[in-house]
Amino acid sequence: MNYCNHCQVHIRGINNICPLCGNILQDAGNDQKEIYPVIPPTYERHLAIRIIIFISIVGIVISFVLNKIFPSNINWPMFVIFGLISMWLSLIVIVKKRHNITKTIMWQVIVVSALSIIWDWRIGWRGWSLDYAIPVLCVAATLVMYITAKVMKLSVRDYIAYFLLDGLFGIIPIIFIYFKLVNVFYPSMITVAVSIIFLSAILIFQGENIKIELDKRMHI
Amino acid sequence: MKQRKKVEWSRLDNASKIFPATCNNKDTKVFRLLCELNEPVEAEILQQALNTTIENFPLYKSVLRRGVFWYYFETSDINPVAEIETSTVCAPIYIKDRKNLLFRVFYFNNRINLEIFHALADGTGALRFMQTLVYKYLILRYKDRFPDKIPKLNYDASMSKKMDDSFERYFVGKDNHKPIIKENKKGILFSAYHIRGTRLDEDRVKVIEGSMDVKAVLEEAHKYNTTLTIYITSLFIYSIYKEMPAYRKNRPIVLSVPINLRHFFESETARNFFSTMNVEYNFEKSGPDFKDVIKCVSEEFQKELTAERLNIHLNRLMLLERNPFARVIPLPFKDYSLRIANKIEDRKITAAISNLGRISMPFEFDDYIRQFSILTSARRPQISMCSYGERLVVSFNSPFQETEIQRTFFGFLSKKGIEIEITSNI
Repeated sequence: MNYCNHCQVHIRGINNICPLCGNILQDAGNDQKEIYPVIPPTYERHLAIRIIIFISIVGIVISFVLNKIFPSNINWPMFVIFGLISMWLSLIVIVKKRHNITKTIMWQVIVVSALSIIWDWRIGWRGWSLDYAIPVLCVAATLVMYITAKVMKLSVRDYIAYFLLDGLFGIIPIIFIYFKLVNVFYPSMITVAVSIIFLSAILIFQGENIKIELDKRMHI
Repeated sequence: MKQRKKVEWSRLDNASKIFPATCNNKDTKVFRLLCELNEPVEAEILQQALNTTIENFPLYKSVLRRGVFWYYFETSDINPVAEIETSTVCAPIYIKDRKNLLFRVFYFNNRINLEIFHALADGTGALRFMQTLVYKYLILRYKDRFPDKIPKLNYDASMSKKMDDSFERYFVGKDNHKPIIKENKKGILFSAYHIRGTRLDEDRVKVIEGSMDVKAVLEEAHKYNTTLTIYITSLFIYSIYKEMPAYRKNRPIVLSVPINLRHFFESETARNFFSTMNVEYNFEKSGPDFKDVIKCVSEEFQKELTAERLNIHLNRLMLLERNPFARVIPLPFKDYSLRIANKIEDRKITAAISNLGRISMPFEFDDYIRQFSILTSARRPQISMCSYGERLVVSFNSPFQETEIQRTFFGFLSKKGIEIEITSNI
């Protein structure tokens, strides 16, 4: 075992520097084993994110400069900014919730729905967000959730709460119809119908699981 | 008909609730128990031992999940795997939304390591698991050496006792209106001295373990008529003081000390059952002598460590948990408020020290086990210690590169003629 004359302590392991004072130790026939493994530093994992941030900033700057050089009637650099903000919101949700895929899908539906309404409103309300975007999103999410649950062999209790939420979300377009907020009825109607059928199916066949799952998640 | 799988889940106990909210990469709330054997660890046998040990600790098979109002443990069917050590000391275990077990078992040369997320168990609770694991490992590994009589482990609490939430059992959450003993609550602006330093890359922890003869240290402690814990605590305070910059010497040094409640309230739980107290010393007010420190620290220990005082403190904590208003706050808001409360509490603390105490194993194992030790993730310098047989291991965990306090600390002991073996991870 090595000995540090400076600190008057024995040093175990294979390092030849005293961990206390940093002095170099004389190697006194070192036949010791490593006690802690040497763990190399991990490499930067967030390089992709950094690259996207960089490109976003470059994009915004260039679009403003181009707009100044070649003026146009539309304030299109604002669209670039809105577009990037939308992309980032969506991306943040995906990255943050990446460990739970059904939750990610649920959050995507909410974020993208909200964004589509904002976009629609900003470019002069044509109603496409309520007419098509939200109904299509709801049905698509149900399908995607169902497929991922089956493909990834998730257990019922992992996804049932999100199925329920998605089903409830899918009923919302009934409000659009009732208050005549939509110009085109069919997509909303189909979504509501699908959601009601879907909800009744999971309540009838998985009611017990839903109850247990809700008890657990909602305990106070 | 397909059989429905029963979902089992349980609530977190009172002390556990803070950990999921406040853990992050800098402070992972993970601690490690190590058992160093005299021979290299056999991976396959360790795995076998782990497979049987986990059956005795059902709650350890849980994953931590987020509900709408509270976190909860959910039983999983993940089987723990004993792997060779490849991650940094006390690397994060609980990662939001990821479903993994809240502990890991690994080995390296002669050492068996158990790392555990604090929400699952405290030091003593985890030690129960570790003792069982090491016991099963040694029995399997050297079964031919114990032909007629298999050593017995002196921990055989029933399954329900092991998984008991002892906070629920002992503290009703009633303020029993005894205003005679006031908790010495410090105002929100109170700030203790804080040790500064250069953080290690990747938020790693620098570990310096000093292994020494427990009798020699006890002798030193007895010279001051005091116990080992108080002696080491005082020495820690003293070492911090020695490295304090002159202009900050008026700040008090406050150590946070966890208290094992099993000493005061009977419990065999392998979960959390601890409380904490703060021990304060101000060198400007109370004198710079080591003797003065010991005197003051032992007074604080005596004052704080009474069942009555703990009762009042813990009942208050339970009352907070039971508060109907607090209960219906959604989890993300609870997380934020706990983080803020934690930040405020942190300002009042300089460092922390915890003593796991004497670890006992069947005497037949004396020739196979060299020493036990305990490490913790550290957002500030922290000492953790335990003893087994003749060996006392004091581990100094720090997020900083500087080692002045460690040098003063171990130098003080070695100057008293105590032989110290130092092991470090960096």
